Amino acid sequence: MKLAIALVAALAFAALPLMTSSNYIIGVGISALIFTVAAAALNLIYGFTGLLSFAQLGFWGIGGYVTALTVVTFGGNFWWGVLWAALINAVVALAIGYPTLRTNRHAFVIMTLTFALLVTLIARDWVDLTRGPLGIPNLPKPSAFGYHFGTTGQYYWVAWAFSVAMLGFLYALCSSRIGRTLVAIKQNEPLVRAQGIAPMPYKLSAFAISAAVTGAAGGVFTFHLGIIDPLFLDFYYMQTFLIIVIIGGAGSFWGVIAAGIALSALPEVLRFSADFRMIIYGVILVVAMFVMPTGVAGWLRERQLARMREQLR
Amino acid sequence: MTVDAVYLLQLTLNGITLGLIYALIAVGLSLIFGVMEIINFAHGELLMLGAFAMTFALPVMGLLYWPSLAVAILAIMLVGLVIYEVLLARLKPDEFERSILITLGLSIIIIHVMQYLFTATPRMVDTQYGFEGVSIGSIRITWTRIIGAVAAAAAFGGLYVVLRHTQFGRAMRAIAQNREAALMVGIRPRVVARNAVVLAAGLCGLAGAAISPIQLVTPYMGQFLIFKAFALVIIGGLGNIPGAIVAAIALGLIESWIGGFYEIIWQEAAVFVIMIAILFVRPDGLFKRGGMRVG
Amino acid sequence: MSAILQVTELRKSYAGVHALDGVSLAVEAGSITGLIGPNGSGKSTAIDCISGFQKLDGGKVVLAGNDITGQPAHHIARAGLMRTFQTVRIYERLSLRDNLAIAAQQFDPATWLDEFLRTRRYRQAVDKAEVRARELVELIGLKRYWEIETGILSYGQKKLVALAAALMPHPKIVVLDEPVAGVNPTRIREIEVALAELNRAGETFLIVEHNVEFITNLCHRVIVLDQGKKLAEGTAAEIHTDARVLEAYLGMTPEMAEAEMRGAA
Repeated sequence: MKLAIALVAALAFAALPLMTSSNYIIGVGISALIFTVAAAALNLIYGFTGLLSFAQLGFWGIGGYVTALTVVTFGGNFWWGVLWAALINAVVALAIGYPTLRTNRHAFVIMTLTFALLVTLIARDWVDLTRGPLGIPNLPKPSAFGYHFGTTGQYYWVAWAFSVAMLGFLYALCSSRIGRTLVAIKQNEPLVRAQGIAPMPYKLSAFAISAAVTGAAGGVFTFHLGIIDPLFLDFYYMQTFLIIVIIGGAGSFWGVIAAGIALSALPEVLRFSADFRMIIYGVILVVAMFVMPTGVAGWLRERQLARMREQLR
Repeated sequence: MTVDAVYLLQLTLNGITLGLIYALIAVGLSLIFGVMEIINFAHGELLMLGAFAMTFALPVMGLLYWPSLAVAILAIMLVGLVIYEVLLARLKPDEFERSILITLGLSIIIIHVMQYLFTATPRMVDTQYGFEGVSIGSIRITWTRIIGAVAAAAAFGGLYVVLRHTQFGRAMRAIAQNREAALMVGIRPRVVARNAVVLAAGLCGLAGAAISPIQLVTPYMGQFLIFKAFALVIIGGLGNIPGAIVAAIALGLIESWIGGFYEIIWQEAAVFVIMIAILFVRPDGLFKRGGMRVG
Repeated sequence: MSAILQVTELRKSYAGVHALDGVSLAVEAGSITGLIGPNGSGKSTAIDCISGFQKLDGGKVVLAGNDITGQPAHHIARAGLMRTFQTVRIYERLSLRDNLAIAAQQFDPATWLDEFLRTRRYRQAVDKAEVRARELVELIGLKRYWEIETGILSYGQKKLVALAAALMPHPKIVVLDEPVAGVNPTRIREIEVALAELNRAGETFLIVEHNVEFITNLCHRVIVLDQGKKLAEGTAAEIHTDARVLEAYLGMTPEMAEAEMRGAA
């Protein structure tokens, strides 16, 4: 049932460029797709595995830069760039995840925060590689099989195909026994160990996959923007991913997808001023954490459970 | 490479000042973590507010440094009190992720409200001392730096006395060491947590006020500092106050030395590399988390 | 002698206090062995050390001929020792069915790739586990909660879920940490009957418990710990008449009580 709805929604989304010629609306559509993918990746590590990772912002930035540099500096094409973005991020996630996950979840959160900052600083200060604050403008739109995705409308298909593939992959993962094991680790790690399951490989893999998907998403998004500079690492992106996951319901795959599509339109609706928009984001975050910390999906589930308790009484 | 001794000394002095500022922030974070097991993401914004408070207080006080400093610290302690009563008091112990997300929201709100009200234009702060300073040989240090460092050192002395010898300091340490036992002997965790937050805010306000004549004041100034303070709290061992101070001063020195000889990127990356290296060797941080130890 | 679990000279101390001071014990295959003792006598520490949840300072643990001393908990579980916890541990936000399925998943041949692609090997493993799970659910009498999140169950029912989960992978031995503490008396009787039945079917148990009646009814052998040392060992009847045991349980001097408090903290 859910899969059928998802399929219809995916097809409806595919048709967006046919329904409008407004580059603005199509651009919002691309943001919605890519942000949803990044949020679903955050959901994998935070919602399912229970590890709050701010490193997503760093992975997003590394993905953007790797893809852009592959094309501009190293003479590769866009597709290889996205692949490299995923691979490099996975390796980075393993390298920083292993020492930190051995400690405790507090250290993990703080390490990921510091990592996000580090990537921002590298983007700004390693001028030889990243060209510093000026960034790399005029990123060329990709081609495949002789077809050039030159306009926003054409590039939309790239973003669409990427998102559907990534969300399909994440769904297969989250709904599999691996996803269930991640949930088990989040709920009761000592019990997991007592049942013969080593948590570390699961946590590390979830972190690496989440990093790879986020990085690839960053790569696709930066070619939509056509430029990459340190602003690509603005904390605004991390906040957007977080708010999508929290409002949708951490640990609920479809809840986060729905929230991603719905909330990505939000910044476009709230086009007062950048500051005002951020203030509203902050307020949403604080209020959501108090009013419904488990998100819409969690709230629905609580109600269902309450009914069940009544019946069993 | 020949190293100029004067240059090195200058870097060292700068590093100590920087390290003391880091320490003021990191100690506050450690204090709050020790008592409540949460992280205050908006801690850097308290520092920023402290610096802004200084920019407003100084002209009113006729550029007099000390009264303005006092006003800034008190103002930030008040802000800390409000934050505790409105937000943090609702958290249960060990709601770590939730605390981060809530205070992250708060930090976004504070930064952007400040930017909305006062724009992102950097502000310079002038004090009664201006840019005067002392010269020892060819080394020159401004009075504002010296006073900032002295005030920070004095604050740590004061903190030591408070934690060691006052009733509420002992209560704080008791909670950090063993929550259940502390509750049994009748310590009220809410009061202790509030005191800890207000105290940490005061230290942060001092840091902001002390840094304001040295650095440009902008709504974003807290962000970069707070990331480093987080790393320091890990390096020093979560909740370990002397550990945080030692780690902070060491980092200040290391950054200053690296910055004097290498590109800025290495200076910025140092803290992260050190943190990862330390977690590899000692997963509990350099000094372990032994409750809240003071000396 | 066919001891499935052989523990020799177990040692563990916290900050100078000897929680375990050279404890040896053996559990015969197919038996129910009880481990009792006053608070702070080292029972919980002993099973934490045996199951790999605490590092031991010295001694040896052999399970079915394999030396498992000091191995991480998940290795020991894979070697065939499953345990429950004093404060009940189950996955409260997962269904009863999932709770049982997870408990067995590490013991089937399906790899991550099998799980991701839902291969035949994976499906067969799942089907096999499901048969076992349904048997156990029948046995513990929670059939009607099969698809329901276990968080809504009562405390006693949760203990049963934990017991069933521990039995899922056909372990060589099941270690139960206070299986009836905090459970209401009628439910205790049910647990007792279920354990006896499982034991007849060939399961081996090591049970740590305070409830002396429960232990007496169930256990073939009882081991009494006191202050980190083995005080007595024998059948339930022998233990009941042992003067040292009676003193440890009833005639405690104030100093001993205080020592226990320190051990428990």
